Amino acid sequence: TGGHTTEILRLLSCLSESYSPRHYIFADSDKMSEAKIRSFEQKRAETFSNSQFTLDRIPRSRGVRQSWTSSVVTTLYSILYSLPLTYKLKPDLILCNGPGTCVPVCISALLLGLLGMKRAIIVYVESICRVETLSLSGKILYYFSDYFIVQWPDLKEKYPKSVYLGRIV
Amino acid sequence: FRFKDSLAEDLRRADLVISHAGAGSCLETLEEGKPLIVVINEKLMNNHQLELAKRLHRDGHVLYCNCSTLVETLQSMDLSTLKPFPPGQPEKFALFMDKVVGFQ
Repeated sequence: TGGHTTEILRLLSCLSESYSPRHYIFADSDKMSEAKIRSFEQKRAETFSNSQFTLDRIPRSRGVRQSWTSSVVTTLYSILYSLPLTYKLKPDLILCNGPGTCVPVCISALLLGLLGMKRAIIVYVESICRVETLSLSGKILYYFSDYFIVQWPDLKEKYPKSVYLGRIV
Repeated sequence: FRFKDSLAEDLRRADLVISHAGAGSCLETLEEGKPLIVVINEKLMNNHQLELAKRLHRDGHVLYCNCSTLVETLQSMDLSTLKPFPPGQPEKFALFMDKVVGFQ
């Protein structure tokens, strides 16, 4: 969704061309991210000749303030949906930054790893909006990611396993 | 106007911005180097939106008020006390990632 997409594109802005191909996954209810991503990739293609990327949509795991019990159901549905997608893409690296969409994708990747099919490195970057508390996705993925990056020192103190690089977006 | 695709034009021409505490609004304004007064409506907002506004205020980058104190704030404000907001550094992220992935 909006803010998350803007942030993640900024994170990608300095990555070298070795981070290719890029597979973007976002919620089916998201109307604006596709345009932002295409615009970013178009600009990138001006500098790098071999720019490859794909776009995929998965069902939204959780709406704003959706109740706990219904969120579990919708997230399970999203996981079922993202399993075959993750299996198809077999990513080496998953970079995510907080929307509900990232939980099913990361869980799928973890399952694939457990089954010995593909082990992805999971890097989570908490949003710059999160100064003192983690988002729900963050609280979950703090335990399941390989690298958990926070952008404010208070969070680094509360979550000692996290990585603090300062503000990166 | 109600909604625009981008406020970038308006932001560039502004001398002062008065905004709600949404992260996007705050950050875009600060990145343009414009002075910002954040108006908090505690009834409408959930706590997490306040975190960033509070921190930005604590670090001296924005002025802060609620709907009823806005006029008073505008009358007594001293914008020269606001500190510039340095941009984020995605290069640091790129360096970190290169180490993680093994591209040196």
